Amino acid sequence: MLRYLMRRIGGLIVVMLLVAVIVFIIARVVPGDPVAVMLGSSATPADVAALRTRLGLDQPLVVQFLIYLRQIVTGDLGQSLFLNRPVLQAMADRAELTALLTLMSAAIATLIGVPVGVISAVRRGTLLDQAATALSMFAASLPSFWVGLTLIEYLAVKMPWFPVAGWGDPGAGFGEHLHHLVLPAIALGLPNSALIIRFTRTAMLDVLGDDYVRTARAKGVGPMGVVVHHALRNALIPVLTVIGLTIATLIGGAIVTETVFGLPGVGNLIVSAVLRRDYPVIQGSLLVISGIYVLINLAVDLLYALVDPRVRF
Amino acid sequence: MGAAALAAASRAHAQAPQAASAINIATIGEPGPLDPTLVTSDLISIITQHIFETLYTFDGSWQIRPLLAEGMPAVSEAAKVYSFKLRAGVHFHDGSPMGAKDVVASLQRWLEISPRGKQVAPYVDALAEVGPLEVKLTLKRPYAPLLALLAMNNGAAAIMPAAQAAAREMLKTYIGTGPYRFAEHKPDQYIRLARFDAYASPAGKADGYAGERRALIGELRFVPVPNPTTRVDGVLAGQYQFADSLPAEMLARLHGQTQVAPITVKPFGFPLMIFNNKTGPMANPLLRQAAQAALSCSDMLAAAFGDPSFFDAIGSIYTKATPYFDAPPKGDYNAADAKRAAALLKQAGYAKQPIRIMTSQQYDFLYKMSLVAQQNLMDAGFNVDLQVLDWATLLQKRGDAKAWEAFFTYHTFVPEPSLITIFNPAYPGWWDNAEKGAAMDAFNGEADPVRRVAAWKKLQGLFFSQAPAIKVGEFYNLAARSAKLTGYTVTPWPFFWNVRI
Repeated sequence: MLRYLMRRIGGLIVVMLLVAVIVFIIARVVPGDPVAVMLGSSATPADVAALRTRLGLDQPLVVQFLIYLRQIVTGDLGQSLFLNRPVLQAMADRAELTALLTLMSAAIATLIGVPVGVISAVRRGTLLDQAATALSMFAASLPSFWVGLTLIEYLAVKMPWFPVAGWGDPGAGFGEHLHHLVLPAIALGLPNSALIIRFTRTAMLDVLGDDYVRTARAKGVGPMGVVVHHALRNALIPVLTVIGLTIATLIGGAIVTETVFGLPGVGNLIVSAVLRRDYPVIQGSLLVISGIYVLINLAVDLLYALVDPRVRF
Repeated sequence: MGAAALAAASRAHAQAPQAASAINIATIGEPGPLDPTLVTSDLISIITQHIFETLYTFDGSWQIRPLLAEGMPAVSEAAKVYSFKLRAGVHFHDGSPMGAKDVVASLQRWLEISPRGKQVAPYVDALAEVGPLEVKLTLKRPYAPLLALLAMNNGAAAIMPAAQAAAREMLKTYIGTGPYRFAEHKPDQYIRLARFDAYASPAGKADGYAGERRALIGELRFVPVPNPTTRVDGVLAGQYQFADSLPAEMLARLHGQTQVAPITVKPFGFPLMIFNNKTGPMANPLLRQAAQAALSCSDMLAAAFGDPSFFDAIGSIYTKATPYFDAPPKGDYNAADAKRAAALLKQAGYAKQPIRIMTSQQYDFLYKMSLVAQQNLMDAGFNVDLQVLDWATLLQKRGDAKAWEAFFTYHTFVPEPSLITIFNPAYPGWWDNAEKGAAMDAFNGEADPVRRVAAWKKLQGLFFSQAPAIKVGEFYNLAARSAKLTGYTVTPWPFFWNVRI
């Protein structure tokens, strides 16, 4: 187990180094100038050039890359050109929102996806199964911005149960933050539940026909016990993988939802940084998200051993 | 007498500051560093005008009025020496008194780093303190737009403490003299401005940006809400008390809603199709005139804005309500004459070189009007290569004269013609020739208002005959406020002093 873990961590470091290089190259290859965006449309090329010099953006790319590498090694992701603060701080400011939104939407997706997928498999071929299939197709085809705008229209404007947008007034407490995240979490969780429904159904169908399930039934285990304790536990491995991937996607992929709901999350930070060509933020945030992605994959692989006693490292 | 006392009491109540009140103002996005001098974006101007003040400002008729200055400056007979007396008793948000030393340092910063200030810098001979509350500015030659440039809140000659004004990079602290002081900036979440209790207001009845300024609301929160539909929903739900820059098609949602008042901002701005006057095919005036003849500006505006109440096909750079209005000669605007354009192309010997036009979908109206322009130009015989770029790329590429032949942008209304970017020979488009230079110098050197209008007409005449750019027309901005927000003045850069909730 320890050797396996060390091997995976070694691989993780190599992956992160490659990501750092690729992200730097991509950010610089894409045309666009952060200073021109910062100064506004009335600035002349001479104004832009003067500020580029002051910010060190006129240095050769190799020099800029070496500075960037030195910063990464010392745990410093640089200073945002636009936000007037370090990249790590900008990310930390958004971490609570993104973590909560991710967990809430993943919980909604899972709470819809797993039970509906199980019922669909257990009632295979029935009207219930067809309805669940139709529901998953419908949920998968819903654009999250449309779900978001519809929820706002009905549950925030016509019936003012939830706030329209934002993360709460200055000094807002945890409860107010959660209140602001209900609609975005539904808008994000609903479309993402579709994949979990489909994977749960397929995984359950695979195991429901297995010998040990038949044996459990022969031993007199009730239908609920067979499904929950015998079939579902074994079907959970691929489902866990999908939930893990969904969480990883949600961390940086809630961009549209964050824009619709005016949420200052990590997705919003990245999109804004790309539009403004805020290189340090693009590089730093993609590096951190890639790291989280790789760590979640590692955690999911380790979880296999917990849910399936046959898996040993 | 009782009624008079009641009225006085009511007036006193209406003007009393609302201690615990706060309003949320939904803006188009995150503005970035709040440097009013270095940055020229409208959003920065909207926010920072509450924190920082200038020596002069504009009243409701766009006339220049004193703000931090005590009165209009004493100007020497040759119009080369300006003496500015400063108001006494004005304090910065850090409690220090404002004085001539701060003004000299702030103006020096403006002259060195502001795109607006750099326009003035070549004319400036000396800038010095004369006394604790008096500053003298000496010009090398007369420069009539000086006071208008000092009054602009965009690329502003913002007055700040001398120590803060020493910065030549982006400001990191935001200490000014305005009715609101900077309290907190949480990027992508809000900017919080708190009432400055020691604020010293200019005297006189409030009129536009001029006159008395009272911070009646305790706290202003500028909230970035990039999605326009969400801005509308937020103001309808009462979460925002003001929503800026809404698409014209949203007006229907605001009609009949008693809790919200729609606002149409007139004048607001004008879209421009700017040609590359420096290199490439469009450096040939005949080709620019051909494009001018080919374009249907009314079609471009209709495609871009839809609702006719949000645009007007006006070719004059200034609208009818201003002294600078001057209708262009017939045929020089909105001609949609493909035949004449084709004849001009033939006369120019145009050999179908590609005309690279840069546009961006980030400003939907610019993209839509560029599609109409593309078709108009192709009908006339131009070989058009429409390049749809993101705004950051367009801003970068437009600095390279070899990368394009035309690009679309827009300009917010400015009260002084010298502030219009296309007249700056260093601005992309690079409209610079002897005739234009002489007309510009004559205009900038003319202080007499009547003769100045005549000089402007000559300069605008060159704009139409040389066609360095196309002014597509006028467009207006839709905003919305809560019906409870009273005392609001409609301006291109909304401000929130003298308003109450």
